[in-house]
Amino acid sequence: MSEKVVDVRNLKTSFYTHLGEVQAVRGVSFSVEKGEVLGIVGESGSGKSVTSMSVMKLVSYPGEIKAGEIIFKGEDLVKKKDKEMLSIRGDKISMIFQDPMTSLNPVYTIGDQIMEAITRHQGLDKKAAREKAIEMLRLVGIPSPEDRIDNYPHEFSGGMRQRAMIGIALSCEPDLLIADEPTTALDVTIQAQIMELLKDLKDKIDTSIILITHDLGVVADTCDKIMVMYGGLAMERGTAQEIFYDPKHPYTMGLLKSIPRMDLNETGRLVPIPGTPPDLISPPEGCPFSARCPYSMKICKIEMPEYTKFNEGHEAACWLLHEDAPEVEVDTGVKRGEVNDK
Amino acid sequence: MDNKKISPELWEKVETKASQTEKITRKSLTYWQDAWRRLKKNKLAMLGLSIVVLIILFALFGQHLTDWDYSSQTLKNANLPPSMDVYPVTEDKNVFVHREYTLFLVSEEGEIIERLEPTNGTLDIMQNKRRVYEVDGNEVELDFSFIAAAKSEGREAEKAFELKVNGALVETTESVWNKTYLLGTDDLGRDLLARVRFGATISLQIALVATLVQFFVGVFYGAISGYAGGSVDNVMMRIVDIVSTIPLLLYVILLMVVLGSGLSTIMLALGLVYWVRIARIVRGEVLSLKEQEFVMAAKTLGASTWRIISRHLVPNALGPIIVSLAMTIPSAIFTEAFLSFIGLGVPAPMASWGTLANDAVKALRSYPHQLMWPSLAISLTVLSFNFFGDGLRNALDPKLRR
Amino acid sequence: MGNYLVKRLFSMLITLWFVITITFFLMHSIPGGPFTREKELPPQVIEALNEKYNLDAPLYEQYFDYLKGVVTFDLGPSFKMTGVAVTELIRKGFPYSARMGGLAALVVLLLGIPIGIISALKQNSIIDYIVTIIATIGVAVPGFVVATVYIYVFSSKLSLVPSFGLDSWQSYIGPVLALAFFSLAFVMRLMRSSMLEVLGADYIRTARAKGIPEPIVIFKHALKNAIIPVITFIGPMVASIVTGSFVIEKIFAIPGMGKYFVESVGNRDYTVLMGTTVFYAALVIVAILIVDVAYSIVDPRIKFGD
Repeated sequence: MSEKVVDVRNLKTSFYTHLGEVQAVRGVSFSVEKGEVLGIVGESGSGKSVTSMSVMKLVSYPGEIKAGEIIFKGEDLVKKKDKEMLSIRGDKISMIFQDPMTSLNPVYTIGDQIMEAITRHQGLDKKAAREKAIEMLRLVGIPSPEDRIDNYPHEFSGGMRQRAMIGIALSCEPDLLIADEPTTALDVTIQAQIMELLKDLKDKIDTSIILITHDLGVVADTCDKIMVMYGGLAMERGTAQEIFYDPKHPYTMGLLKSIPRMDLNETGRLVPIPGTPPDLISPPEGCPFSARCPYSMKICKIEMPEYTKFNEGHEAACWLLHEDAPEVEVDTGVKRGEVNDK
Repeated sequence: MDNKKISPELWEKVETKASQTEKITRKSLTYWQDAWRRLKKNKLAMLGLSIVVLIILFALFGQHLTDWDYSSQTLKNANLPPSMDVYPVTEDKNVFVHREYTLFLVSEEGEIIERLEPTNGTLDIMQNKRRVYEVDGNEVELDFSFIAAAKSEGREAEKAFELKVNGALVETTESVWNKTYLLGTDDLGRDLLARVRFGATISLQIALVATLVQFFVGVFYGAISGYAGGSVDNVMMRIVDIVSTIPLLLYVILLMVVLGSGLSTIMLALGLVYWVRIARIVRGEVLSLKEQEFVMAAKTLGASTWRIISRHLVPNALGPIIVSLAMTIPSAIFTEAFLSFIGLGVPAPMASWGTLANDAVKALRSYPHQLMWPSLAISLTVLSFNFFGDGLRNALDPKLRR
Repeated sequence: MGNYLVKRLFSMLITLWFVITITFFLMHSIPGGPFTREKELPPQVIEALNEKYNLDAPLYEQYFDYLKGVVTFDLGPSFKMTGVAVTELIRKGFPYSARMGGLAALVVLLLGIPIGIISALKQNSIIDYIVTIIATIGVAVPGFVVATVYIYVFSSKLSLVPSFGLDSWQSYIGPVLALAFFSLAFVMRLMRSSMLEVLGADYIRTARAKGIPEPIVIFKHALKNAIIPVITFIGPMVASIVTGSFVIEKIFAIPGMGKYFVESVGNRDYTVLMGTTVFYAALVIVAILIVDVAYSIVDPRIKFGD
């Protein structure tokens, strides 16, 4: 097993609003190994974005990390003061966001915004920083970078802006890149390009990636490991192969049934999961998915199940997997047809 | 994996009534119902609205609060304050010493009975600085020669005047509210309450009519410009741009000089100049609305341009239009006050809050109450409209529905 | 950038021409002519005056004469004050008005912007609360009220400052305060809400994710964006100070240009009225041009559109 870049243990993050405590993340654990891409998948409100913001300690008032540990390079980030985080953010851990149009400052050039990170974290002088910035732009696939470096964000197209954002994030060669829905706001063809770019750069710069998305299709292609979140908790964790072909949790199965699959012989209909996500101000006792789960039992509403391990790395939290649970015919969503061998 | 024994009945399946979880839990409201609901919740806006309503009621029915008419003058009672420090003379009668050193007989409750005439000579301040009066058989003496005496000796006077009743010095016992003139009087002896009330009708009328003129000219100019688009829109907006670069007030002043001052010319001038603001807003709304699909739908059903503008575009743009109108009224009140200060207000004996304020400036040192009432009226009205307008803006923004 | 400037300049000249034309034709549409007074003047006098002021010539000729005059800074003689040229009045009065107005503008910007920023940074604190209340009331109180209350409190009752003229530095306080009050309140509110909006923007989140310390995030990243609406307001602010000066100069008896303007309204001194109007218009136009340039420097997005 290669070394872990980041190891999150039992993270709990809440927002203390005047309406009450919104428990966005209720005890999530995961780790990312060197060179790995971890995909965090879930609906809106599942807590996936707040989890990633917590890793960077970017959760601002009225939110705060309630409990847990975030071990990064041997140190617990939760215990670190804000000032100490400044040298980590942008340098050791970087983040790119969903909408490149609004995530770039409109009144400064792209060059300014890249060089800012470089000069701050790497101490290069202006000339050297500019050289490096041009190199980054070239690396992310922006043509004529020596001219475009002086352009403003509104002079770039959507895809190019996202490339620029990636350039900014990777300019200091971070150990970990967190990509929060990087392709959601882009056209489908551009989406593919950006994902290719990320994979390519991951190897070139030797970065590990946490990819956050609600789109299983994006995840299938890029991720080594996947964590499925719902209602502030992890429902299932495993490798991409395991999640897509051997899902153990009803929610995962539900997600798989609701997307079209090219790798299976399609014979059935797409089945959406009925219902809406739970209210995080008064989260349900027990399993958060029980209200929408077709197999839910009385126990599911009372207590949250423990994680059942299938092998090193593949686990799921479901009462059906308990040794005493009744045998239930479960539609995993995989057996729709036969599996196509790619 | 825990080894806790779980009782068998807990393994029973639960029927998920998934269809229930997506039930729409609120009944749907129309845009206007939703906006009104939101407006009601905004306490500040409702406060503003209530005050505005009160002011309107005051303007319409306030004349019953006072016995006086806005233009009747009682010169003897000029420049009386709303609250008086009185000196006791008899059981039920007091006197009040006016700033101009005349004496007024005041009843217990604070009613002005009459201005007393001295028994010993003229009212000429220069000649007679010691006056004697007779009240129900008592002798009242007012001596205000101190300041002149001190001046001639080059020192400060210790007091302004002395009042003696039957030879004994009296001090002021209390402050009473002026029950005859609740807000005091102006320099021609006119009741300020009646004048402020009248001023309310004038100022509000001006604001209302000006706003209506702006509405009709501005909305249709803007709607036509926005809907036509292209070069027609360009030219029309160019005109608006050129007109609005300069402080619009300058145009109003010029117009007033040409048209002469008077109630109707003020209303006209304000309306004919400020419509450009509404025109711009409406044009913006129409531009964004006309690209929307319901307009295309109307067109494919064969609706004429006029019908599209008046039945589809204007009602949908109504939100920002209403907000702008609500904000135009305070602006018109301000401008009218301003014009009065320059001498372009309504002619006497009519009064608007602006002319009342203008008249009161010269007496600011001696009789500050005369300026206070119209200023308060203006500020209160403008503030209330501002709160209400802000609330309206928040309520009518469909994106904010919670 | 040069292209943009030229376009704006051209646009401004057209506006100025428009104002001159409107002013001219409005003044000449007044029935009765400039010499109608309560007392009837003997016809020979009227004739002589008409000739002197060239009022007999056809309208378009007078118009072009006037245009020529504007370009050469000759705005004609005053109708009511014999022997006094309009430009002379402007030259006498403008320095006073300019000093007052300039100070007022400075107060608005140097005080309003920082206070607005502080208020936004310390949202919902006591300071924010006080600032919001003052700002809300400030935009509802007319300038003349501020002026007169000031005179009453500080001049009459407390005898701290003189109540008229611009002789000593103390005498500046009242007029400048009265002129600046409304705009100051407006800028405080505007800066505050703009700052709050910008601080919630995505690109601020990006800046923080880059490990930029908070003070730099606020003053480099946020401020440059937040100040844009305030810069845009400077145009209307100049207009507001200009119009405010009419009333303030009257109340404080300051011999500035505003006083001559107001007087010319009262005595129907048409050349003075026209001349000062044109001057004011030109002033506001120049101010707006400067603001536009400043705006295009701060916000790169507008250079490329119009």
